[in-house]
Amino acid sequence: MEISVIGSTQAKFVKADSAYRVLGFCSSRRYDDVLSRNSRVCLGQPSIRLRRLGLRLTVRAVHTEPALPARVSTDRSAASAPSRSRPNNGVRLYVGLPLDAVSEANTVNHAKAISVGLKALKLLGVEGVELPVWWGIAEKEAMGSYNFSGYLNLAEMVQKAGLKLHVSLCFHGLKQPKIPLPEWVTRIGENEPSIYFSDRSGLLYKDCLSLAVDELPVLDGKTPIEVYQDFCQSFKSSFSQFIDSTITGISMSLGPNGELRYPSDHGQSRNLKIPGVGEFQCYDKNMLALLKQHAEASGNPFWGLSGPHDAPSYDQTPSSNGFFKDHGGSWESPYGDFFLNWYSSQLASHGARLLSLASSVFSDADVAVYGKVPLLHPWYRTRARPLELTAGFYNTERRDGYEAIAEMFARNSCKVILPGMDLSDEDLPGEALSSPQSLLRQVRAACRKLGVDVSGQNSSDRRVARGGFEQLKENLSGQEGSVDLFIYERMGAYFFSPEHFPSFTAFVRSIYQPQMDTDDIPDEEVVGAEESVPMASESGVHMQAA
Amino acid sequence: MSTVSIEPLIHHHQREIRRFRFKSSAFGPAPLSCRPKSRCDGGRLCSFKSPRRALAVVRAAAVVETFDTTDVVFRETFPLEWTDTVEGKIFVKLDKGKNEQNWQLTVGCTIPGKWILHWGVSYVDDVGSEWDQPPTGMRPPGSVPIKDYAIETPLKKASSTGEGIDLYEVKINVKSDSAVAAINFVVKDEETGAWYQHRGRDFKVPLVDYLHDDGNVVGAKRGFGLWPGWRAFGQLSNILLKGEASQSKAQDSISASSDPKQEDSSLEGFYDELPLVKQLPLHNSVGVSVRKCRETAKNIIYLETDLPGDVVVHWGVCRDDAKNWEIPAAPHPPETILFKNKALRTLLKQKEGSSGCSELFTLDEDLAGFLFVLRIKENIWLKYMGNDFFVPLSKSSSSVQSNKDSEATHVSGKGEQENEDVSGSAFTDGIINEIRNLVSDISSVKTGKTKTKKVQESILQEIEKLAAEAYSIFRSSTPTFSEEAVLLEEATKPPLKVSSATGSGYEILCQGFNWESHKSGRWYMELKEKAKQLSSLGFTIIWLPPPTESVSPEGYMPKDLYNLNSRYGTIDELRDLVKNFHEVDIKVLGDAVLNHRCAHYKNQNGVWNIFGGRLSWDDRAVVADDPHFQGRGNKSSGDNFHAAPNIDHSQDFVRKDLKEWMCWLRKEIGYDGWRLDFVRGFWGGYVKDYLEASEPYFTVGEFWDSLSYTYGDMDHNQDAHRQRIVDWINATNGTAGAFDVTTKGILHAALERCEYWRLSDEKGKPPGVVGWWPSRAITFIENHDTGSTQGHWRFPGGKEMQGYAYILTHPGTPAVFYDHVFSHYQSEIASLISLRNRNKIHCRSIVKIAKAERDVYAAVIDDKVAMKIGPGHYEPPSGPQRWSQALEGRDYKVWEAS
Repeated sequence: MEISVIGSTQAKFVKADSAYRVLGFCSSRRYDDVLSRNSRVCLGQPSIRLRRLGLRLTVRAVHTEPALPARVSTDRSAASAPSRSRPNNGVRLYVGLPLDAVSEANTVNHAKAISVGLKALKLLGVEGVELPVWWGIAEKEAMGSYNFSGYLNLAEMVQKAGLKLHVSLCFHGLKQPKIPLPEWVTRIGENEPSIYFSDRSGLLYKDCLSLAVDELPVLDGKTPIEVYQDFCQSFKSSFSQFIDSTITGISMSLGPNGELRYPSDHGQSRNLKIPGVGEFQCYDKNMLALLKQHAEASGNPFWGLSGPHDAPSYDQTPSSNGFFKDHGGSWESPYGDFFLNWYSSQLASHGARLLSLASSVFSDADVAVYGKVPLLHPWYRTRARPLELTAGFYNTERRDGYEAIAEMFARNSCKVILPGMDLSDEDLPGEALSSPQSLLRQVRAACRKLGVDVSGQNSSDRRVARGGFEQLKENLSGQEGSVDLFIYERMGAYFFSPEHFPSFTAFVRSIYQPQMDTDDIPDEEVVGAEESVPMASESGVHMQAA
Repeated sequence: MSTVSIEPLIHHHQREIRRFRFKSSAFGPAPLSCRPKSRCDGGRLCSFKSPRRALAVVRAAAVVETFDTTDVVFRETFPLEWTDTVEGKIFVKLDKGKNEQNWQLTVGCTIPGKWILHWGVSYVDDVGSEWDQPPTGMRPPGSVPIKDYAIETPLKKASSTGEGIDLYEVKINVKSDSAVAAINFVVKDEETGAWYQHRGRDFKVPLVDYLHDDGNVVGAKRGFGLWPGWRAFGQLSNILLKGEASQSKAQDSISASSDPKQEDSSLEGFYDELPLVKQLPLHNSVGVSVRKCRETAKNIIYLETDLPGDVVVHWGVCRDDAKNWEIPAAPHPPETILFKNKALRTLLKQKEGSSGCSELFTLDEDLAGFLFVLRIKENIWLKYMGNDFFVPLSKSSSSVQSNKDSEATHVSGKGEQENEDVSGSAFTDGIINEIRNLVSDISSVKTGKTKTKKVQESILQEIEKLAAEAYSIFRSSTPTFSEEAVLLEEATKPPLKVSSATGSGYEILCQGFNWESHKSGRWYMELKEKAKQLSSLGFTIIWLPPPTESVSPEGYMPKDLYNLNSRYGTIDELRDLVKNFHEVDIKVLGDAVLNHRCAHYKNQNGVWNIFGGRLSWDDRAVVADDPHFQGRGNKSSGDNFHAAPNIDHSQDFVRKDLKEWMCWLRKEIGYDGWRLDFVRGFWGGYVKDYLEASEPYFTVGEFWDSLSYTYGDMDHNQDAHRQRIVDWINATNGTAGAFDVTTKGILHAALERCEYWRLSDEKGKPPGVVGWWPSRAITFIENHDTGSTQGHWRFPGGKEMQGYAYILTHPGTPAVFYDHVFSHYQSEIASLISLRNRNKIHCRSIVKIAKAERDVYAAVIDDKVAMKIGPGHYEPPSGPQRWSQALEGRDYKVWEAS
């Protein structure tokens, strides 16, 4: 008898421990959440009362068995009903793992550093980490031969650290660090370059497949969509042990750099102070065939022979050629409208294909599916917004191109990840007529309108500019609608360096600060507490105030 | 009337066992009594014996409530961890033996415990302060040699003194004709690991006339018996190796101890006693059970504890979860008094037949909770993790809540600072515990801010440590992807936070030595003569040379950090010097070399990486990435200095020891702040740690690396260089300033080549650190390395006054080099200083650059001072101010607004 009591006590204790591991020290708000729904607390009480009660119950909750399922179910309901926004603004913070966390040989790179780093993040109260899973590594050698061993090891490390995992399935390659597409795909591409995007001059973009081949059996008799689907299935079964617990979200790679876009900037020179407008990428064999088909169907067969002839080249400014001119540019002509409509709808359909694939594969799992929409802010303050046009977003001064995108996400019950939340207009050179803030506002409004949850990211792999954390805070503050999840890119030497880490720490703390700020206590409560404090005169110790 | 047995809730708590065991046998209904009972006074009984179970029998007088055990609705045992203070004394006695040839030294202690005498001797012909092992004949039985320089002998229980006090002592026989000059020792407490020294130094009993002449440490006093200071009545400073509780309490107020016993050269016996305070960490517990009376529905709370002595429960009840204290309705237990109408105080009844005490409380059914704290020994308060103990009472008998998980109870001790110390040291119990504590801290809205902050701090420190580790591994193992580093990074204005690092903001620093200062062997005494003069010149801070024993005479190759006898003078001369500066209102900076330390011993491979002295670290304290020294620590968090083992600051024990050392220097010597040597060698976050521990008035770090040059020409833009310095300051969280090496470098180029345009950056601000973070910039033109007899990077000759005209009129904290103070520049420098003071130019003054051309640079500071340097022409414009020329020298002019 005696022993059994002890036994169960200890068991509970262990549970309590793990529950807190999951929580981190800053997440008490989420418990409020659970409690306000699951316990018989009168919601009409003053909020302070509720919080206080909630918090006290919290401690109890970790003692009793129902606590864990209760919390998980909250996650579930949030995950499976993406259209319902979270009841509070508590953003879940994730940090990206190094891009090359798993080597080409499927081993974990810098495992020691990552495990130490995970500990630090856990202590800091970060909820989880983002792990890029590369097609070129997990299905490297032959179609259908998957090797997730390195990623599984990492997932286990993450789980052990008590962190959550957001997995990005990357069907694209990378230049820096060099992560190519699978070898067998590259071999096919050598004989059949039309699987890649091509620009006007025939320059290929080899870090992802052209969206025009999505449904063509170019990969040894299979279509890329089928190959992606098999990959997702295989991932799902390999990670089944993590999927209902550690893994909370999946990002589906939608194109270059994982983003829904054309690689319109791939021929651009790096480090231009003012980025050029980029180029249309509709010149591979299959894209041109689709364009031709579409032109013929719409009764203008001559429009289907090529892309716009008067578009500037990669590094040029909008007005350097006719197409994007603010006044009298071809983009405003019927031809321009025809082309841009087609070009952007191809991108949207591609996105829809991939997202519906992902959401069907993961429909029976407790994970949310995400897709990344780029923040193409340079030249936003022109009428044509050429950078967005070449990337495939028909978003001009007069036409909202993002509603269609948001609608596509909503249809597939997916959430949008928006990068560049750290960018503010002041940071950028004025000459580029850039406005990341306005663009972000526009995209967020479109998402809000269609009930799509927005998640955030900092500008990809670039160092968060000075002042960037302030901008992040503002964007996460909920004034523009809630942010469901924020992924901070990315762990590495710079991330932990003395130049960066202290400000990141301050940032994390400031996000959570409101919850621990004593300002939250209504004044009369404070006064009341003070009054009830007896002073032990001989020792001067506050006894009850603690 | 019947009896009820109440299950004892006490067991003697051990750290590992956090759960209490319950018996679940049932007893029949029983009436209970509230009759006052005489308390058996156990006095100050401490029981450290094995767990016992006691049966407490309470007799009932009147019928009150009845219950049986099935009605127990809440049970919990809270561990109590607290520190008891036991006072006693250490005595040292030197007797004559049977004949004049034999003497006997007795060292004893009156507090029970496992005491060890850790001792060694000095021989007559010894130089330096190293210990040696005593001759075998001197070693009492049971002695164990420690390395090759010390002996450890346990103190044995001696016959009682007759007063009921046990004595622990050890006797050492000394032949007076032996070559032993002195016996050195410390007393070690094996149970706690604490060392007891005498005023921060080893005890020393000289046996023969000290051979050295005046000028030696304490030889000047030529005393026999104990060393000076010995008779000063002060508590021994107890250097606790775990926890820092008592350090601050050691009273050192009485230091006037210059009454050496002037004896002649024959040895005299003596007897001396010193008070000793031992901190005993104790583990007790308090158990609470709540039962529901079936008939009256009242709550019956049984509280018991094994705490020794009188235990007072300070308690109240609450009606809701806000936990507002209320006084419950009577009846209250016996021995209860009302405290300020806000709480009740009940003295617990001593249990019969066993140590500990208990009490029953009967409370109405409509209460939500029972709140209490415990008091023992008059003024030690025990709480639950910094909060009140809270026992939930069920209104309806069904739901019971416990807000307890059996984590360590933190003790609120005698005062606030101790409270924090204890909770801080509990960090080692594990990160998760802390997180949980924090959660509960955050949860309980009423939590004192300081506490929460403290716990957060310790978590943040842990995070920083982990981050530093992750950084060093990532950095060494990854190709970083920084090729495309965005250089848009604008210098942001760091927060203008007034902090201790800058002193008053009006400081003017003097570097009080040069590369030759060690030569005379009496620098401290020489500098003392100049204190008044330096003060009258207008200096507010002086930077003294590194004080520790060093392999190189200049002091920058420290060895035993606690040995402050250096080529500059003795520890006493240093103390005296500091005192002298303080008398003339000059603050003193100690030169702390934290980056590296010279070893005392070789490891098995013959590499010098094992340390001796008081901080006897092994090779874990040495960074791993310098192959010369085969360290076993982590990789360095900064650059390596290759001449000596670089200290691994990521090791907890290293940081703890260094913090202790810096605090000791602050206290023992009276340093007000630090000049930190070679801070490039380790992460600024650690510096922050050290400064927060030692709380200096002013700190400046030496972060010296190369400026950028293209084809031998210095680049105009030195932003990268100053950024590195600013980054370091940032890493210290602004707790330290740094020498503005950038400004010095740019002044070199500007003056040497007549390129005064260099003195304005692209934004029209000063191009050095002083342009970005003036309050943290310590501007200088020369130091012992760059100038003096080393001349590694000498300021352009003959142009020094232009440099001083610049730094002494500009924001930042200017530092003047000793060689310049005592040179023909003195009067010019003095005029500049007095002009700076007169116009109240401070480290954050606003500078407007008026001209930065080929041959002239001119600026107006705070609209009060105008200056120009360079051969070119400049006159301040006549605007709202009327300028009058105040100073003129070779290629510089300064005006004041009138």
